Amino acid sequence: MAWSEVFSRTPYIVGAATLAIIIFVLAVLLPNFALLNEVVLGSSASPEAKINLTLSLLGGIKTNFSTLSAIYTILIAILVGVNAAMVVYLMRKQNGLAKEGIATGVGGIASGTLGVGCAACGSFLLSTILASVGAASAIAILPLKGGEFGIISVALLGITLGVLGNKIAKPLVCKPKNNHE
Amino acid sequence: MEESPKQNNLSTPAAIVVAGVFVAGAIYLAAGPANSVERQQPQVTEQQESGDLEQMTPVTAEDHVRGNLHAPIKIVEYSDMECPFCKRFHSTMQQVMDGYGKSGQVAWIYRHFPLDSLHPVKARAEAVASECANELGGNDAFWKFTDRFFEVTPSNNQTDIDAVLPQIAQEIGLDKSQFATCLTSGKYDEHVQNDLDNAIATGGNGTPWSIVVTESGKKYPLSGAQPYEAVKQLIELALSEQ
Repeated sequence: MAWSEVFSRTPYIVGAATLAIIIFVLAVLLPNFALLNEVVLGSSASPEAKINLTLSLLGGIKTNFSTLSAIYTILIAILVGVNAAMVVYLMRKQNGLAKEGIATGVGGIASGTLGVGCAACGSFLLSTILASVGAASAIAILPLKGGEFGIISVALLGITLGVLGNKIAKPLVCKPKNNHE
Repeated sequence: MEESPKQNNLSTPAAIVVAGVFVAGAIYLAAGPANSVERQQPQVTEQQESGDLEQMTPVTAEDHVRGNLHAPIKIVEYSDMECPFCKRFHSTMQQVMDGYGKSGQVAWIYRHFPLDSLHPVKARAEAVASECANELGGNDAFWKFTDRFFEVTPSNNQTDIDAVLPQIAQEIGLDKSQFATCLTSGKYDEHVQNDLDNAIATGGNGTPWSIVVTESGKKYPLSGAQPYEAVKQLIELALSEQ
């Protein structure tokens, strides 16, 4: 099993967990980057107060996210961490030869980025892109108001993990080309 | 069966390019303004690319103020009455006012920010209704109306406003006939629109959108329905800066 091959190694567990936590924290704090910037750089408050405020904003996962968006935000964070660990493992195992698998993995990570979103916006990235091209109303007519992108991201990440798993599980052999002479 | 080399050569760089665009876009946009429910299209000639907190209309006695108007900390909230997160944040702010409001340290100012694309017709009608409550019963009636509305309605366009708005008005002791006349008069449309425009001008692109103003005039943006603990921490931080 590719999963056990990768995650029997502690560095990959630590790496996946660290990346997942970073993505989760960024996703929850994303709505208030302007506030954090102002507090960290522009406030005369103590460092302790600044840290307390930052940590308290993580509670926004309960209040500023719908149940659906909280679930897929957490799932995306976990899956991106796992995805990244498997990409790194694949790169090291095949010495950079597995370009397709790596590209697939990076694509999966990118799709996870697409799906991360806050409370009622579903996908901050896609909603912002659509707004830039004047199609913000496109999100409003969706049944889940953009939450679909989070679900799609989870699905894409799951598919990516499957592809990566197959790549990792393949034996390292050279396949002869068919000679048509 | 092995893929042809030509197919392999096309899919790999294509996947890398697509992934790179997404990741670059995410990094660029994450560094920009707060993410949003919806890029509200303002009723102005030009859309501002980024808000400016200093564009916030100063707080006056004409505002809907809960607590001491001259409190050292003012929390100006721009809200949509159909927004479920505004409903949550309304409860949080009630909790804030139970503590900091009673001690005179914090004033809560309510302004309108109806999101027409998500809550067409109803959000604006409800904003107008709250203004009518204010007209007929003063500031106290405004807050009773707003509190009761958030308490009894489910958000997200599920409210039968034709039934609920007059019902709440009657519950808080307003004249139903005068309330109904006010609702259809159109006299508060401009006021609601002005609040909405100001929300956008200050950088609001989702609800609830709040600005915490210290006694010295320094402003902190607060986006979304943040938990009580976060609001409390921000208030304490703002108080410590006096």
